[in-house]
Amino acid sequence: MSASLRNFLITRLFLTIPMVLILITMVFLIMRVLPGDPIRSQLGPRVSETQANAIRERLGLNRPLYIQYFNFVWSMVTLDFGTALTQGERPILDELSERIPATIELTIPAMTFTSVFGIFLGALAARYRKKGPDYTIRLFSIIVYSIPIFFMGLLFQILFSVRLGILPLAGRMSPILLRNFESPTNFYVIDSIITQNWAALGSVLAHLVLPSLTLGLALSGVFIRLTRVNMIEMLQSDFITAGRARGIPETKLTYRHALRNTFIPIMTLIGLQFAILLAGAVLTETTFSWPGVGRYLVERIALRDYTAVQSTIAVFAIFVAIITLTMDVLYAFIDPRIRY
Amino acid sequence: MKRELTPETEVETGTTQVEQWQLDLDRVGFVRRMLLARKWYGGDWWFVVISAILLLGIIILGVFPQFFAPHDPRAEVGPSLLAPGQPPAGYYLILPDESTASELREVARSENDIGYIVGSPASQALREAIDVINEDAAETGERYQPRPRRYNTVEEGLAAVAAGEIDAFIASEGELTDQVETDPQLRNAGIIREAGAQGFFLGTNQLGQDVFSRIIWGTRIALIVGLSSAIVAFVIGVPLGLISGFVSGRFDRGLTLLMDSMYSFPGLILAIAIAAVLGAGIGNIIIAIAVLYIPTYFRIVRGQTLSVKEELYVEAARSLGTRPLTIIWRYIFPNVIPSVVIIFSVNVADAILTGTGLSFLGLGLPPDTPDWGIDLSRGQDYLRRAWWLITFPGLMVTLVTLSFSMLGESLSEILNPRLAEL
Repeated sequence: MSASLRNFLITRLFLTIPMVLILITMVFLIMRVLPGDPIRSQLGPRVSETQANAIRERLGLNRPLYIQYFNFVWSMVTLDFGTALTQGERPILDELSERIPATIELTIPAMTFTSVFGIFLGALAARYRKKGPDYTIRLFSIIVYSIPIFFMGLLFQILFSVRLGILPLAGRMSPILLRNFESPTNFYVIDSIITQNWAALGSVLAHLVLPSLTLGLALSGVFIRLTRVNMIEMLQSDFITAGRARGIPETKLTYRHALRNTFIPIMTLIGLQFAILLAGAVLTETTFSWPGVGRYLVERIALRDYTAVQSTIAVFAIFVAIITLTMDVLYAFIDPRIRY
Repeated sequence: MKRELTPETEVETGTTQVEQWQLDLDRVGFVRRMLLARKWYGGDWWFVVISAILLLGIIILGVFPQFFAPHDPRAEVGPSLLAPGQPPAGYYLILPDESTASELREVARSENDIGYIVGSPASQALREAIDVINEDAAETGERYQPRPRRYNTVEEGLAAVAAGEIDAFIASEGELTDQVETDPQLRNAGIIREAGAQGFFLGTNQLGQDVFSRIIWGTRIALIVGLSSAIVAFVIGVPLGLISGFVSGRFDRGLTLLMDSMYSFPGLILAIAIAAVLGAGIGNIIIAIAVLYIPTYFRIVRGQTLSVKEELYVEAARSLGTRPLTIIWRYIFPNVIPSVVIIFSVNVADAILTGTGLSFLGLGLPPDTPDWGIDLSRGQDYLRRAWWLITFPGLMVTLVTLSFSMLGESLSEILNPRLAEL
């Protein structure tokens, strides 16, 4: 590892700390400082003020704001989120660690699909700039971007599950198989492979198709657009003109020479997409009753489980920071120019 | 006064040759300029025109929904879950032949059983008919409240009537089979509700509300949410970006770090958090969404300010002792406008999507608001039976978002100098 790379990594790591801190502070400000009393709204008007105060006492909500803030930040550092207020009052960390694998299992195929599909179409559009294929692909990307992700999911459900009946409507696997399903890691695909439960694997994969396709398609719009813009710039560069002058076929120029060099800016994009991906996951999970973090958040908001909500959002923030960091580091490995 | 077009002249300005069309463009008025623009913007020109026309229509719809919506969006105007265009069916009372009754009133006591197909509009037809009977009987103090018996098929229901298990069966015209005419044990005692002459263009929802009217009124909510939150974000984000870029220093660094952190956070989740804490209400939704887009404006405007403030004319203004605020307002802000306009358009589209997403998740708007997100989330419960409850509100969101983002996208393709010069 060169000195410049090491310096970059160290600087980058230190820059992540204020970012996480700001995000957590933001969550804190939203949850505690914005008008609105979470405890009142959770308990409803019928519960007496003494009982409400008892709960405030238990959660430490009656202490001065700065102490609450330090406690909150500390609980994030130690990953000790406390226990949920509703539904069994289990430790939130346990509940989240069951949900996070589900979300990851949904997002990885979606991301793969959107990368491959988006980059291919984006490159195609760039190659035929201002011609038929370009306009068609761009129109497609705008349409895909404009469809609410849950609407796309519902349409797929109507088409593939209700009408054609070829794919399951919702959930992670069929409830009958789930009863005897051993799940050490909570990644159902991995679980069914290591327990050699092939029937379960089939069911898990079938359940995965519609949600991940929905999420992937919805994201591909942005991807196509950004690949196209970067490719257009790349296709104007000198080395492409030189290649063209040497008589290299246009297809080879596009996909071998230009696309390869476009991968670096696209890498950053994949990082940025994760934020959109997580937001999309909330809606997709709700549509397909997918038991992931996003659905957990929505469920707990409906139950007004205030501790669970703030912890989940903070976890999202940490997630984002980690992904941004990973992407930057990867980027630095690929492209030496970035390590200032 | 417009000058004549002189198509054949060649003009040299300095060393660069100016294309004829650029000269033409300088001489003509706005309308003709738009038409001429088609020549070299090609497809993007069409995108702009089409989306502008669509938007005009959508805005008219959103401002005057009462002229286009045939019904009150909150009123129950017909039977529930009526398919698009399908007129409400007529309903008949089927009695066992030995029954002495001749009308519904005689078999609608609380000790009577009346059957119908489960989940069909027959239940509603029956309820309405009973309501009428009760109203008539209000003076005598009698209550008519037959026990409902639900069947899965017409055959089961008719068999139950014939066997004397129930006192009557309600069936629609479509469900009536020859069995009633031929079976000596069954008798058609006449109509309890007339068939409607006209259906509803896009059908009705589970509450008997007109889907079409709700969609039209939903336009207003979507536009209010989309436009207001984009405007709020604009009004806060642009000045912050201008000042931050102009002032630089510690203030700039701090604000940029804050904005970048907000920008990296998944927008919808931030909005969910804010909306959940603030509670229901359209104003709260607008605030929640506006907060998301402040960083977008901030980043773009700050970046542009940084480059514009190095320009000579800003330098000149500064050396003449112009006040900083005047420099920002008169010299920098106008240069930032074009890119901000594009963002605004895409922003409105995004805000509408986010707003629909929030109300789909049950956050923000009061439950009976004619809003597309609410309609979609309710329609999800009737996925198997009523495709129209999902399809039409969803298409409407798509259409509106599409128009705004198409406008922004193609305007940026036309106006973005970095790409245009390639």
